[in-house]
Amino acid sequence: MLKKYYTEMKSGLETAYQQKPRASIQMTIQLASIFLEAYRADKNVIWTSFYSFPMELLAAFDVAPFDFEIAANLLPTFNADVAVEIMNKAEEVGYSTDICSYHRLAVGCDMLDYMPRADLLLSSSYFCDGKSKTNKILADRYGREAISLDIPNKISRESVDYVADQLRRIVGKIEEVTGQKFNLERLRECIHVSNRARRAYGQLADLQKVSPYPYIGVPVINMSIFGNMLAGREIQEQIYLDMVEESRKKIMEGKPAPEKYRVLWLAWFPVQPTVINQIFRKNGVTIVMGELARNYWGQMDESLPFESLALWSLRNPYVGAIEQRLKGINEIIDEYNLDGVVHFSTDACRHSCAAQKLIGDVMKERDIPYLVLDGDMSDKRKYSPERTEMLLENFIGIMAGRK
Amino acid sequence: MPESKGRMGYFCSLVPTEIIIAAGFKPVWVKGKAEMTATADARLYPNMCPYIKSLFADAVEDGEAEFDGLVFTRSCDGARRLYDAWKAYIPSKFHYMLEAPKNADDLAVTYYASQLRDFADRIGKASGSEITGPDLKKAIKEANKARGKMRDLYSRQKVSPLLVAGSELFSLGLELLHGDGDDAADSTSALQKKAAGSDVSAKGRKKIRIMICGNVMSRPDIFQMIEDTGAEVPVADLCTGLRSFERIVDEKGSDPFMSLAQAYLGAPRCSRTAAPAETYNRISDNVMRYAVNGVILTALKFCDQQLYDIPYLLKRLNEDGTPVLFVENDYVFTDRDRIKTRIEAFVEMLAS
Ligand code: SF4
Ligand code: SF4
Repeated sequence: MLKKYYTEMKSGLETAYQQKPRASIQMTIQLASIFLEAYRADKNVIWTSFYSFPMELLAAFDVAPFDFEIAANLLPTFNADVAVEIMNKAEEVGYSTDICSYHRLAVGCDMLDYMPRADLLLSSSYFCDGKSKTNKILADRYGREAISLDIPNKISRESVDYVADQLRRIVGKIEEVTGQKFNLERLRECIHVSNRARRAYGQLADLQKVSPYPYIGVPVINMSIFGNMLAGREIQEQIYLDMVEESRKKIMEGKPAPEKYRVLWLAWFPVQPTVINQIFRKNGVTIVMGELARNYWGQMDESLPFESLALWSLRNPYVGAIEQRLKGINEIIDEYNLDGVVHFSTDACRHSCAAQKLIGDVMKERDIPYLVLDGDMSDKRKYSPERTEMLLENFIGIMAGRK
Repeated sequence: MPESKGRMGYFCSLVPTEIIIAAGFKPVWVKGKAEMTATADARLYPNMCPYIKSLFADAVEDGEAEFDGLVFTRSCDGARRLYDAWKAYIPSKFHYMLEAPKNADDLAVTYYASQLRDFADRIGKASGSEITGPDLKKAIKEANKARGKMRDLYSRQKVSPLLVAGSELFSLGLELLHGDGDDAADSTSALQKKAAGSDVSAKGRKKIRIMICGNVMSRPDIFQMIEDTGAEVPVADLCTGLRSFERIVDEKGSDPFMSLAQAYLGAPRCSRTAAPAETYNRISDNVMRYAVNGVILTALKFCDQQLYDIPYLLKRLNEDGTPVLFVENDYVFTDRDRIKTRIEAFVEMLAS
């Protein structure tokens, strides 16, 4: 079923792209293509996490990476009811509804044999405990090995070495599973390509400082989260550069932007259809930045590829104590001229939700309107359009009162 | 070794108490509040595991005066945020976040050893006297001995009826972990004497025997519910049960930090580090070893580490014909009546 969705999605998007070539469409085409590649019998398939694993490492091999979380959780965007039916399958065998819907849906898809086979499963210990847990559970089903890249809480000489050594060991495992020989020069080249793309992304992030910014912002946030699946591949830079061009053009042409309020989005954007975009459009609210979309990673040292990839992981705002996350949020507030901050709250996302009060305290100190918007990423049963509308309207009212 | 500098609290059994002892503090596993309050909901989040909420509520409501410092670990998502909230809202003399790796291979052991050195350095400074090699070796010996006594008692639980009730043994373990040192040491010796000479073979099994498996538990409610039905609990595979006492640290190792890292990250591992298949294997080994008739799996509400494993464990245990019951709990057993009814029905099913 997933394969059918992605096949249809890809062909629909290709038609759309021919009529209106847009970077965001190209990004989604790439996403569908990567997923479809994992269903090919002649490919070595490595399950991984596009947004938390250093994908340059996989780009240095000829393998099909597959993100079980994202692959399963695009389903609610097509059909939220079907997604609930699939989650039910996982719940019937004992997966509690207290577990994140992202994983209930992935497990359900796997039970229904919607996923491609896995040759090796890689995940990382952040963002959440559930990610590597699910990886281990699914690996057992395939009789394959699950490796969790353990990312410590702090950046130090020892932690960089620890992560870099784990990456070296993962390389050995990929060689073993695929029969391919690792080539250090190819990895360096992938990092070089990735650095170019990250520079292009930096331009995009800078353009978002322009007010009014011509996009509502979600495609740009998606660019960074989904974009990492292409890290180490030439097309990543091209897509970012296209997006930069599109943004510049819109800004130059003075295309009317509906921007009255600029907000920062914290945590995730729901994948199931919601009223959020509609309300934002109606009220002229632009999401100018997401905390994970900020250009926090810097350039990687190509001469020290493993250490550089380790540092990329360690610098993620969700790694470490809350100070790392707060630092990023404060920097965005300083750079992006914001009117408010929205924290999307999927109740099972404990690491993110449990920081809400701390972040709220800092926002209060800075006198920035802050909204905790509860809902759910994928589970329709835990989302109320009425409540979402009420919370957003109130929040917009508060921002309006300050203008 | 320096004179006692006070009580050092810790939350996770991955913290090597030997380092705390070597620094001159008394290690105290922190229980948290005995009843649930809403204190933590506002500052942490309602959907956090009740152990974390109870720790936080206890500290907010009653202050941290009981302790001279606290050691946190990167045990889980909740524990990371507990540390953040604690730093922000609860003034403390000494806070340390111990970087316990989530893996347990040789790379993780080497990294953990480096973090333990840092911990020893920091806690040594907090105590005002540097931890020396001999201090640490002495503490390792001491802790090995205390754990050895508990292991010995557990190993004698293969007979039926038990010489030491499961609830009694579990409570004794809690006393030891909670730093009620001398009394607990006396009780351990008394129980050891009582149990000495008993037949350790599983022959002559008379009562229904149930093993409890799960994570953290600070009161013997489930044990008592089982015992009230006439069944017995020979073994508790919990962070606060047998698992805590199964570690043996190499006393002769040239690098005590490596020895500690190996022992603490080595088996038996909790669901935080172990793959579900590993947990299943350990449970089924213990089913044989302690000749149990059924298994009660427990999990704290909202504990992802445990909740993700449950369907897998239920499936595997069902497949191999081991009767199993899953009981979620809220740490303080607010819904004790419902749990009791389910346990009674389970024992009845086993008896029939
Ligand atoms: S929303 Fe949170 S808990 Fe769910 S998969 Fe993402 S990081 Fe994990
Ligand atoms: S019981 Fe689970 S959620 Fe709670 S502290 Fe332990 S591992 Fe974390």
